[in-house]
Amino acid sequence: MTNASEVLSSIQSAFPGAVLDSRVESDRRLWATIDSKKILDVCKHLTNKLNFDHYSGSAGVDWIARNEMEVVEIMASHGAHKVVAMLKVKTPRENPSVKSLANLYWNANWYEREIWEMFGINFEGHPGLYPLLLSDQLIGSWPWRKDFKGYPDLTTGERAVAITTPEGYTEYRFPPTPAEVEAGAVVAERPKYPTFREREEREIKSDSEMIMHLGPQHAMVPGPFLLDVLVEGERVKKGFLDVGYIHKGIEKIMENRTWLQGIVYTDRMCYVASLSNNECYCGAVEKILGLEVPERAQYIRVILEELSRIQSHLIGTGEFLTLVAGVGYAPWQYMIIDRERIISLIESVTGARLTHTFVRFGGVRNDLPDDFAEKCKSTLPYIKSRINEFIELFAQDAIYQKRMENVGVLSAEDAKRVGIAGPALRASGVAYDMRVEDPILVYPDLDFKVIVGTKGDCADRVDCRLREILESIYIIEQCLDRIPAGPIKPEAKIPKKVPAGEAYYRVEDPRGEMGMYVISDGGDKPYRVKVRGPFYATLQTLPPLLEGVYIADVVAIAGSMDGCPSEADR
Amino acid sequence: MDIIDSISQFATQEPALFALIIGIIGAAVISGVVNVGAMLVIWGERKVLSDFCNRFGPNRVGGRWGILQLGADAIKLFTKEDIIPGDADKGVYVWAPIVASMATMLVAAAIPFGALHIGGKDYPLVVANMDISAFYVEAALSLMAIAVFMAGYSSNNKYSILGAFRGIARMIAYEVPMGVCVIAVAVMAHSLNLVEIVQSQTLWYAFAQPLGFVIFVIALITDLGRIPFDQSEAEEEIISGYNTEYSGIRWGLLYFQEYNNALLGSILLSLLFLGGWQGPIIPIPILDIISPLIWLFMKVVIVLWCLIWVRASLFRLRIDQVTDLGWKWMLPLSLLNLGWAAVVGSYFA
Amino acid sequence: MGISDVIPVPVAIDDEIEKWTIFGQPVAEVWFTTTEKIHQIIEMGPIKNIFNWGRKNSVYFLMQPMGCCGVEMFVFGAAPYDSDRFGCIPRNTPRQTDVMIMSGYITRKYLPVFKNLWEEMPEPKWCIAIGECAISGGPFYDSYNIIQNTADYFPIDVFIPGCPPRPEQFLEGLINLQEKIKQRKDKRDY
Repeated sequence: MTNASEVLSSIQSAFPGAVLDSRVESDRRLWATIDSKKILDVCKHLTNKLNFDHYSGSAGVDWIARNEMEVVEIMASHGAHKVVAMLKVKTPRENPSVKSLANLYWNANWYEREIWEMFGINFEGHPGLYPLLLSDQLIGSWPWRKDFKGYPDLTTGERAVAITTPEGYTEYRFPPTPAEVEAGAVVAERPKYPTFREREEREIKSDSEMIMHLGPQHAMVPGPFLLDVLVEGERVKKGFLDVGYIHKGIEKIMENRTWLQGIVYTDRMCYVASLSNNECYCGAVEKILGLEVPERAQYIRVILEELSRIQSHLIGTGEFLTLVAGVGYAPWQYMIIDRERIISLIESVTGARLTHTFVRFGGVRNDLPDDFAEKCKSTLPYIKSRINEFIELFAQDAIYQKRMENVGVLSAEDAKRVGIAGPALRASGVAYDMRVEDPILVYPDLDFKVIVGTKGDCADRVDCRLREILESIYIIEQCLDRIPAGPIKPEAKIPKKVPAGEAYYRVEDPRGEMGMYVISDGGDKPYRVKVRGPFYATLQTLPPLLEGVYIADVVAIAGSMDGCPSEADR
Repeated sequence: MDIIDSISQFATQEPALFALIIGIIGAAVISGVVNVGAMLVIWGERKVLSDFCNRFGPNRVGGRWGILQLGADAIKLFTKEDIIPGDADKGVYVWAPIVASMATMLVAAAIPFGALHIGGKDYPLVVANMDISAFYVEAALSLMAIAVFMAGYSSNNKYSILGAFRGIARMIAYEVPMGVCVIAVAVMAHSLNLVEIVQSQTLWYAFAQPLGFVIFVIALITDLGRIPFDQSEAEEEIISGYNTEYSGIRWGLLYFQEYNNALLGSILLSLLFLGGWQGPIIPIPILDIISPLIWLFMKVVIVLWCLIWVRASLFRLRIDQVTDLGWKWMLPLSLLNLGWAAVVGSYFA
Repeated sequence: MGISDVIPVPVAIDDEIEKWTIFGQPVAEVWFTTTEKIHQIIEMGPIKNIFNWGRKNSVYFLMQPMGCCGVEMFVFGAAPYDSDRFGCIPRNTPRQTDVMIMSGYITRKYLPVFKNLWEEMPEPKWCIAIGECAISGGPFYDSYNIIQNTADYFPIDVFIPGCPPRPEQFLEGLINLQEKIKQRKDKRDY
């Protein structure tokens, strides 16, 4: 088994002088500052020699006091070992530029585009740096830099100007006011990029082709994102994605809230998995604080996260069913009804249906109610029998099998390469689950299987999700049996200020690997919070999956991914 | 008796005018019956589908059964703004809902709605009792596909045009097996007249030719554009397909005709395969007159209920699978069924 | 906009109709005076009440999930809360909807799209703002990308506070809207 210090020594021996600074936090975490000239070689070495085949994302950090910027590449492995390497590359603040990894890792594309549009860090050799999340009006003002003036003083109110386009549509633009230009909040002359439409229109080669816009408002999208497909007849030739329609700038907002207030924002990142998001943020902060979570609190967290996973999978599958069978299809309503039971269980503890803000640093907000175990024990067997029924129903449904089998197939190789996450990845046969890879809380003590599929088609993805619910129920049952009495919060008062430090913490969100990279500079607010969302990774892989399928399959494939665009856009 | 006398006198003196007046009255009655029936079908679908989904369905207007819900919907749609997209093909766009209504009225003109049992004899209730009514009705039912194409083509919308193409592809693929099934029935009944087909069913044709029955049901669902064959609408893929751009009462008409068709289609199915209005006569004074009507009504309600059942429990097929099924399975099997009908029919004749 | 936009007048024949005459008078004149009169009668009272009854009991909403409230909207339309009881069903195309449920944050990038959707809806139409984000920006009030003053762009009829509101609150908002339609307390003239 490889561990972090072995990885570090391997890099140091292969590239002497490449590692400028390093810290081995534990067996599983390696922090290293790499010479910006050698980052490509180091990454190649990690991938080829040390099985780092999972490019997990990258984060930009603006160190304004040190007058430099940092790009942190997060590297991990799909099961070969459990080390996460956080490789930092430094670049000066004037004309920041680093080498792009997009040619090495397919999924680095979006992460780098995001860093570019938010920080203005140029990526040498990137195939196409154009806006991803931001609207064109904000490009050039680099909103996530620490010296961005547009936040929080200037708001967007009363500034939108309605114009009528030549086609007769009303459009809203946000022209910079002189005051803003003076303050430096927006740049007067923005770089011009071809719009999404223009780029897309270029793809039409013949008269028999057309581009269909599925979104931003469409039955298929679980939240606004734009999926355009180039079709010839009923066949899709190519897919294009435009995201950022609900980009809220959560990462920027969290930098301007206290540590505790940040939990509220994690709720609203992915509202059907808010407990996992809470856990991820709190876990990262606990790591910096060095807090131990009391055992009872750990069990409570696990129980609630698994309950939240069940309800998320139920509504995800329910939405998927409406897409392939129409709203008249009865079983999806049954799923929503069953979900209400789970929601009421969660509600009895947290007091909220979706946004809980329940997990706290070092514990949880309140204890379980007295009758919680009884309620669980009466509800869960029922849910289990229902899920078994659903699994059986889909396995026997000839039309369902005909529609879903061998549609949107993602082989294990491809799934690893494109960095897809969660049940969608496991359906391809890759057993990659954060609860096993990077175990937190009491997960190591619990007995559960990682559900994997075989083929990686739509039917497999849905099946994996349903069978995961059964595993979750099994986990909750174990927890209820073992949960000890005791405190649910640490005894010592939690300081308002968190000591300087950084941590990367991963949890298994219902949609897959969610990681948060939290940096503290010793103040009462986070210096930087980077969210590595699972659906962000999954969404990116959607267009290549759509090539050559029918329009009806587009909806099925997108639905089987169980989307949450709010978390992708943040 | 004066009135009847004068009417008969008028009829003999002015036969053409009399026929015209009778025709107009018949058309008014039939369109009233069919449209009210279709409204009840929509209401029934919403209630029954709600039942399948473990919910209540409309229950706020018109008592606890929400019977006036459709009235509210109709009033709202009538008073809604009428939008015709700027780039639409205006003439075709305006005419598509009208063609759809015409199609259903053409069906209604020739379809028997039952019979009255007076003095030991059945008097069928049909406006135009033509010799080839079975074939005519089956053909007129598919006129809806033309309206769908008109609507989809003229809307100048990408979803709509796809819906229109899908509608036509589906219609062509399933019209043939459906026609062949009607021929098979006609072969057994020795007639293409729906009334005679009903009267010849001593054994229901659903039992005499089960294969034909199954094919006809599938083709009928396709013709009606219901799940699993609602690709031309496909709410979740192409957003209502052919009627994406339609609003207000124009959309109301198109939507309404689908249910009109569903009603007429299930009447046709009952007539062709389920023995029509045939059944034991209820030995109660007034009820014995309308007992054929009651039998037909019950059959139609059961067929409609089954259509909703199918909607609540099946997935939507993909368009290539639909045409595949139509050409590769339905057509050969319907021909096989025709052969079966010819053999059995000649044996019994 | 006036009432004549609500009651459909034939548009397809608008050019040719001017050439036609009936009883020596241009058809167009006769037709439009009649429709004007019909509209005057409708405006007067009882008929308008019937119209409002119909509109109130048949509110189709645009399925447009945007944020947390979008999930609750999904549940609100489904079995557990069953908005169909009030004649309120989801439609996916704006052309066939009466009420737009603004179910979440509106960003700079999304505002033009959303406005387009609103303008594609036929009159009479209503707008419900659900959740803090749609009302004022909510927890994202100071974000660089969120529109706070949504009421400046959309004529919002009912505000439903909450983050996110429960589906029961959705139902209450819907009932409030129905009351509003019934009592004609709408500022817009339709």
